[in-house]
Amino acid sequence: MKKRSMLWLAALMLVLSVFLAACSGGGEKAGTKKEENNGKSGETAGKPQDGGTLVYALDSQPKGLFNWTFYEDTVDFEVLDLFDENLIDYDEHLKAVPHIASWKTEDNKVFDFEIKKGVKWHNGEELSVKDWEFAIYTIADKDYEGSRFENVRTILGAQDYHDGKTDKIEGVKVIDDYHIQITFDKARVNNLDNVWTYPLSRKEFEGIAVKDMLSSEQVRSKPVGLGPYKVTKIVPGESVEMERFNDYFGGKPHIDKIVVKVIDPSLSVGELKNGTLDMTSFHPSIIEQVKALDNVNAITYPGLSYYYVGFRLGTWDGEKNVMNEPKYQNKKLREAMYYAINREEWVKAFFFGVGKPVNRPVPSNHWIAADNKEMPQYKYDPKKAKQLLDEAGYKDVNGDGFREDPNGKEFVVNFSHYATQNPTFEARAKALCQYWEEVGLKTKLAMTDANLYYDLLDKADKSMEVYFAGWSTGTDPDPTGLWSSKTLWNHPRWVNEESDKLLDQALDIDVVGTDNNKRKDLYVQWQKLFMEDLPGLPIAEIDETMAVSKRVQGTKFDVSGKNRPNEWWIKQ
Amino acid sequence: MLKYSLRRILGMIPMLFLISIVVFTLAKLMPGDSLSGEIDPTNTNPQYIAEMREKLGYNDPLPQQYLRWIGNFVQGDFGKSTRFKLEVSAVVGERLPNTLLLGLTSIVFTYILAFIMGSYAGRKPYTFGDNLIGGLNYLGLSIPSFIAGVFAIFLFSFTLGWFPSNGSVGIGLTDGTFEYWLSRLHHVLLPALVLGLLSTASYTQFLRNDIIENSRKDFVRTARAKGTPERKIYNVHILRNSIIPLITFLGFDLVAIISGAIITETIFTYPGLGQLFLQSVGTRDYPVLMTLTMLFSFLTLVGNLVADILYGVVDPRIRLD
Repeated sequence: MKKRSMLWLAALMLVLSVFLAACSGGGEKAGTKKEENNGKSGETAGKPQDGGTLVYALDSQPKGLFNWTFYEDTVDFEVLDLFDENLIDYDEHLKAVPHIASWKTEDNKVFDFEIKKGVKWHNGEELSVKDWEFAIYTIADKDYEGSRFENVRTILGAQDYHDGKTDKIEGVKVIDDYHIQITFDKARVNNLDNVWTYPLSRKEFEGIAVKDMLSSEQVRSKPVGLGPYKVTKIVPGESVEMERFNDYFGGKPHIDKIVVKVIDPSLSVGELKNGTLDMTSFHPSIIEQVKALDNVNAITYPGLSYYYVGFRLGTWDGEKNVMNEPKYQNKKLREAMYYAINREEWVKAFFFGVGKPVNRPVPSNHWIAADNKEMPQYKYDPKKAKQLLDEAGYKDVNGDGFREDPNGKEFVVNFSHYATQNPTFEARAKALCQYWEEVGLKTKLAMTDANLYYDLLDKADKSMEVYFAGWSTGTDPDPTGLWSSKTLWNHPRWVNEESDKLLDQALDIDVVGTDNNKRKDLYVQWQKLFMEDLPGLPIAEIDETMAVSKRVQGTKFDVSGKNRPNEWWIKQ
Repeated sequence: MLKYSLRRILGMIPMLFLISIVVFTLAKLMPGDSLSGEIDPTNTNPQYIAEMREKLGYNDPLPQQYLRWIGNFVQGDFGKSTRFKLEVSAVVGERLPNTLLLGLTSIVFTYILAFIMGSYAGRKPYTFGDNLIGGLNYLGLSIPSFIAGVFAIFLFSFTLGWFPSNGSVGIGLTDGTFEYWLSRLHHVLLPALVLGLLSTASYTQFLRNDIIENSRKDFVRTARAKGTPERKIYNVHILRNSIIPLITFLGFDLVAIISGAIITETIFTYPGLGQLFLQSVGTRDYPVLMTLTMLFSFLTLVGNLVADILYGVVDPRIRLD
């Protein structure tokens, strides 16, 4: 009898567990009709309320370099952004706008900056331009180990200081605590976009040698900033606690405390649902699950990256690109491969509804982006693709169903895609292969480990014939670093005199002066040229995705990121 | 005994040396290095990457890189983490207490559960209870820890709300206070339970089989003939004999405690050595990666030695000289 009841218990447990599984499956489907706010979370209730604690999640561990001068990755950036400030800000088209600092310039060579009075560091000191001067000197120091020297190199005399030839940077002149004059080595249109505009507290780093700063507790465990929240406690690799900074120059923040925690991405939906997490960015693949939550808004806002398929047109000779690889030189072949791809369908299938096809190597929301209507469209048209291939002489001569090259030899598209743990990568790469096979181009796919992938591209390795890649761009719109014939990261090894000329002119102060429209015109011409010459096939751009609890109000997102956290508040 | 131990410890040196060669070679054989992977053009540029490669010595021939590393390593300089830009010893030191706490707690769970289940199953072999315990154990052994971890979080954190799902300590507590330690314990319980439950099987079955075997020995028959109560026979005579071999497991547990639980720590976002190890592989953080591997290898060797010595201690028939 006893045995019997135990068996029953076991059976009951089994049945119960089935119910449990069914419940969790159904829960995700329930409530599919959730509105999706673009850029804003509900601004329903009017007046901001003070108080509350906001929990913000990071999907991986920060490195713990909590200082603008030393940080490297986006995870540290997310934390820094909450408690420290840039002196200048960027609007929704990524144009520089005054923030703490405003500036005047006649010739784009000499800039006069003025900073607001009464801006306080978390340690109570008032911000002075000398803190900015200190940051520039630190970065230019030969012992500085970060990667920011590029951002001060253009200042007159910075290179000499870095090389130890002088002990003063000629181009940095402090006038008083609120005024500083910065002179660049020559006039450039993007001097302001490029220069380092983050101050470093002199008081905090007093007496610390530059080479010891990186491991100092001022960077690691007790950072000090200018932002709306100040750090109270850091548990390395796990959490950062912040509390309201009442003297924030932009106005007293509403929320009492912000807790930044590292939460494994597999748990974020559950935490959001439980209300134990208020704000996090998330991977677009779980957007449906986030949208299904009643208490959370899934927010999408434009990102700054684009993906493209590149062709290896040449090689890198150590100093410049040489376009000497014959296989894909035929423009009709490249055009045909573009027409063969159904980008609408592909983006819908693999970018989870948060991406869109793109027709230029510049993200749509950048102010230099050309109007989509002006661009060649290359709409999905397999017939046209076949016709182009026929014209170019790629015909099936041996009857195996695939085209041979104009000389009658076997033609195989060797396509590479990077591989990480993400299982959708192989599927989306295969889908591209399929498009090409449908127009008769035999395609072979190689998935390459992501750690090796860009190395191979940098070396112009022969195995990377046709490849999938993405770039994210910063606030500086200039594509020279990625597409000029002299840059390493021009991975297709595209050499085009016209392109180089346009890119140079757009930076040339004598041509464009300080007129942004003139500059944009040149970039539009360049984008047209790119789309006509097709060294790569721009495929798609993807939106950033952010989950924000409905109790959090006053948040705004645009291409430049979040609004300042002092404007956020929590509905009590 | 002392002579034996000394001989074994001396024997470890060439072994560790060979391991270091393998570890180094395997680490360097991984494609890419700490500067490759996805490039962020807004943050860096080709010159900087090239400079850093030169500075970190990635361009030197491999044997030279090896000698430099092992030379510093022997002198106690483990290098600087390329990811955290901190001394490796500091990075490891930050996470070691977490891992120790998790490891020890899970071992305690394992011991307690294995003791209860093993002695019950051993006393009543081939009954329904024994079979149930056996079945549960093998179920535990065959459930991968990432499934068990996620399921435990779903059930105990999200549905029931008994335990936190991530982290090693609560927010807003002062280090060293009573609440602080209580919170640490609260955070460690769930991952420790998952870890401990899954490794209970071998201990339980070991104990069970030993008890069954002992209960058929002559001295047990004698005790029964004397009229000793059954409870006393099991709890005193058999258990004492059966627990002795379990002690030798201690040596191996030493490694298990330190090496952490790579998967469990990652799922619970518990900052310990296992998670650190996994991430340092992903980011090609050679100094951390190689130091950890050497540490684990060293502990495995020590653990084996401890196990062997304990064999000799508990069973005088085994001579170690």
